[in-house]
Order: sequence, then C-alpha cells, then structure tokens
Amino acid sequence: MTGIQLNKPQGSHFGRIWVIALHAFTQLVRMKVFYFLAVFAVIAIASNFFDLPQHEGPESVGINVLRSIKSWSLGTMTLFSVVLSIVATALLLPKDVEDRTLYTILAKPVPRLDYLAGKLLGVLLLVFVSLALMDILMTVVLHLRAGMVLDQQMAMAQARGWPAEAIAELRADTALHGPSWSLQGAVWAVFLRASIMASLALLISTFSTSTLFTTIISFLIYFIGHFQADARDAYLQAGEAGQGMLVRGAGLVMSLVLPDFQNFNVIDAVIEGQALPMVALAKLSAIGLYYAIFFTGASWFLFAKKEF
Amino acid sequence: MGLMAETIPAVEITNLVKDFKTSFGKKLLRAVDGVSLRIMPGEVYGLIGPNGSGKSTTMKALLGLVAPTAGHCAIFGKDSLKVDSRNDVGFLPENPYFYKHLSGAETLKFYGKLCGLGGKLLDARISELLALVDLEGARDRRLGGYSKGMLQRIGLAQALVQEPRLVILDEPTAGVDPVGSRQIRDLIFRLKERGITVFLCSHLLEQVQEVCDHVGIIFRGKMVKEGRLEDLIAIEDQTEIILKDADPELIGKITALVEASGASLVRTGKPRTTLERLFLRETTEGDEP
Repeated sequence: MTGIQLNKPQGSHFGRIWVIALHAFTQLVRMKVFYFLAVFAVIAIASNFFDLPQHEGPESVGINVLRSIKSWSLGTMTLFSVVLSIVATALLLPKDVEDRTLYTILAKPVPRLDYLAGKLLGVLLLVFVSLALMDILMTVVLHLRAGMVLDQQMAMAQARGWPAEAIAELRADTALHGPSWSLQGAVWAVFLRASIMASLALLISTFSTSTLFTTIISFLIYFIGHFQADARDAYLQAGEAGQGMLVRGAGLVMSLVLPDFQNFNVIDAVIEGQALPMVALAKLSAIGLYYAIFFTGASWFLFAKKEF
Repeated sequence: MGLMAETIPAVEITNLVKDFKTSFGKKLLRAVDGVSLRIMPGEVYGLIGPNGSGKSTTMKALLGLVAPTAGHCAIFGKDSLKVDSRNDVGFLPENPYFYKHLSGAETLKFYGKLCGLGGKLLDARISELLALVDLEGARDRRLGGYSKGMLQRIGLAQALVQEPRLVILDEPTAGVDPVGSRQIRDLIFRLKERGITVFLCSHLLEQVQEVCDHVGIIFRGKMVKEGRLEDLIAIEDQTEIILKDADPELIGKITALVEASGASLVRTGKPRTTLERLFLRETTEGDEP
C-alpha cells in the first residue's frame, strides 16, 4: 500500500483522553488566556497597599496587610478560575461542532466519552496551571511581606520590653497569617470549585444551543450554589412542620444535583488565619470528585445520543 | 489479503431510513428513505444528487454521527454505531475548518495520536502524507493561513493518517479552484491505485464521471439509479468512432457505407475539449498529465 506500513494500533482510552486534553490546553493557551496572569500580578502586588485602618492593638500591626493579600489573591483566583472554567468549557464544544472539526474527531476511533473527558481535562489542566502560577506569586508576595511584618513586630515588642513568651506567641500568631499548608489547601479548594463548574458547564453545553446560554446558566447555578443550603434548610424545617417526606426528598435531590458551595466557606476561614484540617480538605475533595463524575457522566449520557 | 476479506464489502448500507424532527414539533422529515448500497473493496463510488437529497445524512449514518431510524450501516462488516468500525475509515467533511491554531504537521500529529499512533512511525507518516498532498512547504504554517484548496488537502491527509482502507469524502472539491480541484482529483486516482476504497459525494458531475467506477443517484432520500458508471451512461444502440487526420473523402466513404448498411449516422463533427482542460492548459505551465 504506502511506503510506511502501520500496524493499526488503536490506542488506550487514557492515551486518547490525554491527546484531546493537551490539545484543548494548547488551544486555550493560544487564545492568549494567560494574559490574565499579568492582571493577577498587579492585584497581588497592589493588595500590599490596601492597608485598612487599625482598630486592634499594636501587636496586630501588619496582619491586616497579610489578610488583605490572601483575601485579594484568593478572591481573584476564585474569579479567574470560575470564569475560565465556565467560559472555556462553554466555548470548546460548540466551536468544534460549528467548525465541523467534531465530525473529523468522531469519525476516528474515538469514543464520545473520551472526547468529553479530554475536553474537560484540558480545561482543568489550564485552570490548574493558572492557579499554580498564581499560587506561587501569592506565596512569594506573602512570604516577603510576612517577613517584613514579623521584623516590625519583633522590633516593637523588644522596644516595649515584652517577655520572651509573649514574643514567641506573637511570632506564632503572625506565622498563621503567612504562607501555610492551609493556604495551599485553600487554593486546592478553589481548584475543586472551578472543577465542579467546568464539569457543570460541560453538561449544559451538551444540550445548549449557544455558548452564551451555557455561560449564563452556569453562572446562575454557581450563584444558586451559594444559597441552596439555606433554601434546603428552610425546606427541611417546613418539612418537619408539615409535609414531611416529599419535601425532604426534594431537598435531598437538590443537594445531589446542585452543588452546595457553602462547603467552600473554609477558604474564608483560611484567610482569617484559621487552619484547614485534613478531614475538611478530604471532604471537599470527595465533594469535588462526586460532582465532576456526576456531571461528566450526565454529559456523556446526553452526548452519546446526540446527532450531528 | 485473504479471500474472506475480499468478499466483505467496504460499505454496506441496508434499507437506511433517517427521520429528523422538524422545529414545529411532531412532524418528521424523512431525509433518507430506504437507501441500500454496497461498495466492494477498491471501488470508487460516487453518490450524486441535488442539495438536500440525503447524501450527507447517508454518509453521517455510515460514520455513526447520526443513528438510523431504521436499517443498518456497516464498514468492512462492522456496525457503524460501534467505535471500532472507525478504525478503517477516514472522513473529510464538506468545507472543513480544522483547528486554525495548529500547523499542518501538528494537525496530522493530533489526528494520528487519536488513532493510537506515535513516535517516529507517526513522524514518518506525517512527512509521507504531507508529500502526498503536496503540502511539505506549508508543514509548519498554521492552518489559519491556508487557502481553501490547501485546507481540503490537509483534510484529506488527516483522513488518511491511520492508513484506512476506506475514505469518505463529502464534496471534496466544493469551493476549490480548478487547479486545486484537479489536485484533489489526482489524489483520488492515487488512492484508487493503492487499492483504497473511496466513497464520495459531489455536485461536480464531470469529476464524478472521471474518477468513479460506480455511481448512485439519490433524489428526495431515495436511491433512484445505481450501478457501474459505464453501464449507466452507455447508449446501448450507438457506437462511437473517433478518427484522426481523416480527410473529407474518407468521411464521405464511411457515410455512404453506413447508409448502405441500413444503420443511421447520428452525428459527425470535431470532438471538443472540456472547459476544465482548456483552463488548466492555459493556467499551468505544461504540467498537465
């Protein structure tokens, strides 16, 4: 036949998913999405100067700055990761259909689940790399600033003749607001939340007719996710008062289908300097995994029957 | 290739029916209505028909992109709805765009990897395919800068990346200028020489006539005529003789002979070249095959 004889290897599922993921990642990178990292750098550095008026004692000098750096950085990370995961996912699928590139991919021996999982993994890879870069920048800024704050506090404490124990306590308190494993855990939580949103956007884009529709509905569910626990509690209380099982069931179904983002409030606790226990992180990871698998499975269910 | 493999049709479509829901609810639109066709390995089959007659839907059903309402499609004996039927098929859709951010070589690499190829074997295959479709010079140029004809050719190369035994081409020369169109036609000839089965649909009947050995005419979802091209277009009760350097005297003798024999002379005159051949002769520098 041709000069080079191929022995028709068919490849593995993981191989194909990885090829599609790397391609989606490259596609998004070449859309110049990493420009937002420059914006993040400006925010991370500018947050050093958002020094709020002091109401506490002299020992908390500078801690507000550290809190401000963490708050602005994690807030920006959340914003970018959620926007990126929703918009990028909402964009990739309809673009492939519109350009008919999907035909050429599905005409190859590529199962539809591999295609979906690859696209999702590509977006998650992009979000992960973006968050990792932002995390590095935040940690460096925080490390430098925490060092400066600690020096200031030590100088202040020694000038006032504080006892060694009090100085050690102050040092430990300040260290809680510097770079920590809990802070890295909070960044992981931001990633998990973005993963849930990306898989949800994937699900919506399998039946949506436009990128705009997918984006709007995804953001709507994101906001609902912050209130759904309250709504569920209200229903449950109503249920106890009257209707009972039916309302409880509805509440349970709602929490299984719609993610409860109040679980991610631990990020705010980390900003306040509290530790993030491993158990809480493991629970968040399990929640993230559950919704990512649930939404991807539902996407596959719809996409497998879709006609082009 | 064994005897068994030779007898399995490359394409077998049996009583294919495809209904689509219209936007007004329950009324169904029948795009394909009981189409059956069989393409044996090595054949070049042309499916022709007006716009909206069901050509693309038939091809999509064969590729598993749409599910038949009734009937069955198979590629080398494998059900089209199963993923493994796609191991042996390459597809070039109508007006493909591909990923503009990838270069020609990257595009082929992507599709090759999807088929499980990799390493030096894939690199060699990419070079071979780029040479085949005459795009070695545009190897590292992004597809965003490709012309329509180049896109069709890189599309054909991606269809061939895993060396399939069947290639499906949906309007392969649509929107391409005559020179690009001829290149694609020549590529189809080369595929035929290599024993690759080609299933194409086109509006350019002259090209279909030139490259295909089997033709099906589809109209309003139904196959209205099908068979070997030579059989379909031959006028059974007429015979053609083409003479070179014949003087009028000879023509006169032949005419008299014909009249004396009882047969009738339908037409004499000079055969004409096609407009395409004229265009190609005037716009290319003597590389007409």
